[in-house]
Amino acid sequence: MLTAEETRRYSRQIQLPEIGLEGQDRIGAGRVLVAGLGGLGSIGAYYLAAAGVGHLRLVDRDRVALDNLNRQILHASADIGRSKAASAAEKLSRLNPHCRVEAIETDIGDENAEALIEGCSVIFDATDNRATRQVLNRASVRRHVPFVYGGISGWQGTASTFIPGQTPCFSCLFPPMAETVEAEPPPALGPTAGLVASLQCLDTLRLLIGLVPRLAGRLLQFSGSTMEFRTLAIEPNPHCPVCSRLQYPSSP
Amino acid sequence: MNTTMRITVNGIPEDVPPSATLADLIDLLHEIDRDLIVEHNGRFVFPQEYSVTQVAGGDRVEFIHPNFGG
Repeated sequence: MLTAEETRRYSRQIQLPEIGLEGQDRIGAGRVLVAGLGGLGSIGAYYLAAAGVGHLRLVDRDRVALDNLNRQILHASADIGRSKAASAAEKLSRLNPHCRVEAIETDIGDENAEALIEGCSVIFDATDNRATRQVLNRASVRRHVPFVYGGISGWQGTASTFIPGQTPCFSCLFPPMAETVEAEPPPALGPTAGLVASLQCLDTLRLLIGLVPRLAGRLLQFSGSTMEFRTLAIEPNPHCPVCSRLQYPSSP
Repeated sequence: MNTTMRITVNGIPEDVPPSATLADLIDLLHEIDRDLIVEHNGRFVFPQEYSVTQVAGGDRVEFIHPNFGG
């Protein structure tokens, strides 16, 4: 039940027929794991907290560095050297005191991924590498928690929403293989990260409200150099080593 | 008999050998991205199908390079 202050705070989105008071309650009951508090996570966590998601679990192993600040706008110059999770938690609590924020400074691996998603209704992927996404995907499939993927490189971005048992999983598209660490991190531009994270937020909110996420079963590719969006229908891979044993509906 | 056929790859006309497969196109066009996503006439194709999927004149192929930075 929303207080008068909360009803006022969220009034502009409560106006949406798909949200209303009931949808806002559902958003408030939501618990989201935000994996990574960099370029995608800065925007993603900010919009989710602002929208009234009741509980955010923020996970990042890194500390804020000077070359993060062109895009990771949840962190400021004075935060250099601080834990990204702690820096993010401070800003988000200030933005919305109704949002319960947990900051966890850790690596995400197979040994802790399922514990990290415990109780969460959505995994918001804001990681910066393929290997961690494989880990989160395995946990997503095992625990049946939707995985909202986003990735960027320079002007380009990619996004999809993976729902165990209903859509392909991350590994259907990108089979696990010996993961190599990139010699150089890819170029990263703030607005591209902001755009992709915003798309992920839309699907995350849809999931929390109980609407069909629009990137379920679709891969979206954005190019900021041509200002074009492409989406492609994708299907579960019968050879997927992670999710092929799940039962899929015969007609999606 | 034509020794090539014309298809469209990422919006650009390309002349390729008749009966080329998607795997042949990937080689021919030097697509080295291991995470490459291939769209053939609007349909997503799994990697295990590249070597057995032939293209025909007039086909449209898109090579999509997914992103993993954050």
